[in-house]
Amino acid sequence: MSDQPSSDGGAAKALHITDLVKRYPAGVEALRGVSLDIGEGEFFGLLGPNGAGKSTLIHCTTGLAQPTSGAIEVFGHDAIDNYGAARQAVGLAPQELNIDWFLTVEETLDYHAGYFGMPGKERRERTRELLETFSLTEKRDERTRNLSGGMKRRLILARALMHRPRLLILDEPTAGVDIELRLELWHYVKRINEEGTTILLTTHYLEEAEQLCSKIAFINNGEIVAQGSSGELANRYGVPNLEDAYLALVGRKELSRSHVEAEVLP
Amino acid sequence: MSPAQIRFLTLWRREVSRFMKIKKQTLGAPLLETFLYISVFGAALGSRVGDLHGIEYVVFVIPGLIMMTWSINAFTNNSSSILQQKFQGAIQDQLSSPASPMELLLAFSLGGFMRGLIVATLAFVAASLLVDLPVDHILVLLPSLFLVGFFFSQLGVLIGVRAEQFDDVSFVQTFVLQPLIFLGGVFYSAALLPQPFETLTHFNPIYYMINLVRYGFVGYTEVSIPLSLLALVAATGVLFAVNLRLFASGYKLRA
Repeated sequence: MSDQPSSDGGAAKALHITDLVKRYPAGVEALRGVSLDIGEGEFFGLLGPNGAGKSTLIHCTTGLAQPTSGAIEVFGHDAIDNYGAARQAVGLAPQELNIDWFLTVEETLDYHAGYFGMPGKERRERTRELLETFSLTEKRDERTRNLSGGMKRRLILARALMHRPRLLILDEPTAGVDIELRLELWHYVKRINEEGTTILLTTHYLEEAEQLCSKIAFINNGEIVAQGSSGELANRYGVPNLEDAYLALVGRKELSRSHVEAEVLP
Repeated sequence: MSPAQIRFLTLWRREVSRFMKIKKQTLGAPLLETFLYISVFGAALGSRVGDLHGIEYVVFVIPGLIMMTWSINAFTNNSSSILQQKFQGAIQDQLSSPASPMELLLAFSLGGFMRGLIVATLAFVAASLLVDLPVDHILVLLPSLFLVGFFFSQLGVLIGVRAEQFDDVSFVQTFVLQPLIFLGGVFYSAALLPQPFETLTHFNPIYYMINLVRYGFVGYTEVSIPLSLLALVAATGVLFAVNLRLFASGYKLRA
């Protein structure tokens, strides 16, 4: 495939995944023919239990895992073989705090932008801007290993945004962060989504997905089993809300709050 | 500068800044070690050993020490840097960038190469201040040193990529490289060894590297220089090709 975006004559797709299969050498099939489309400008939620394949899908999209078969396109650019333009368009804030302990906060941002080919002057301006946005300016010369968990989380998000990606992938960005920071992150990602950045979010906080995402997909056992808006998913499973739809998906309807309340207060 | 050039320079800058941040350990310690070797084996013992093949003992030893410090530092730097970044997960930042396997491999390789070059240069300057060190064949010396540096940089990358724990790296350094280097004739002439040790030394690839560097400095060799150079070029090329294949396939780097 070339670096030129393919033209299918349809609406622009930020992410276009076709029949994606990922089988690990040990034989585990983490993705079993996933097909998924995320439109440009969407705020898309990918929900599923642990081990469902969410992170594997993200890793295949960003080059951290190699698909067994299938195709991935980011804004029409191949993301598997001729991946230059596709990677340039993606920013990843991973679930793990994968920052280099020996770098300072400022170096972490500067190097990242350099890996994406951003010139020095622009890197310095963008670094200043994001340090300010994420309240990291005072910590700019601090080694990353000395940061608190919340600060590391901010840094990872700032790093993902350094090269101005058109598709931002947030893999459980609010896991383990306090309420204040969670709300701060929500406001920020909502704002950049309104400014045109497409967002793919995985989370275990269903209220987060409900509040932020215009479209949600359920993934289970390596397959997309349902997708639509929060309301559409609830309707599909014949339940009142997204949480109950999720519980129906994972086969744990008995944990539904309405079910439990009905049992406790008959 | 093009985006690709910026990308490569940043990848390389990161590798160099890693060892510059801890230069007491990465530059100071190996330099002190080389200086101690020169003092003990050259100055202290050298006067009792006398000349080897008409060359003052300390001068005979220094080329091997310079080669040893370049190779060990190139190897250690790259294997440690890659394993450390794999361990922290920080390497994902480079792996998810648009950088090609070739750019990643060269940047990781040249980090250790630079560290070896700096330590070897400092060792050369220090040795030149202490003894009268000739440079007889600079056209053999420079390519030989550069090839040795690049070979061990590649070896460091290979072991760093394959390693899953720090023990894997130190095992290769302690139980493979150091014995091969020490038994490759840094401190003695293999021609003076009794059989079968003299013949066995000829199966040690590092023996040829030491001879190349020693010939470059003092003009003495026990092996064919053109054949040794050719073999070193071939070995370095093969190692580079293997590493490039590993980076392209994502072996132990990408899931």
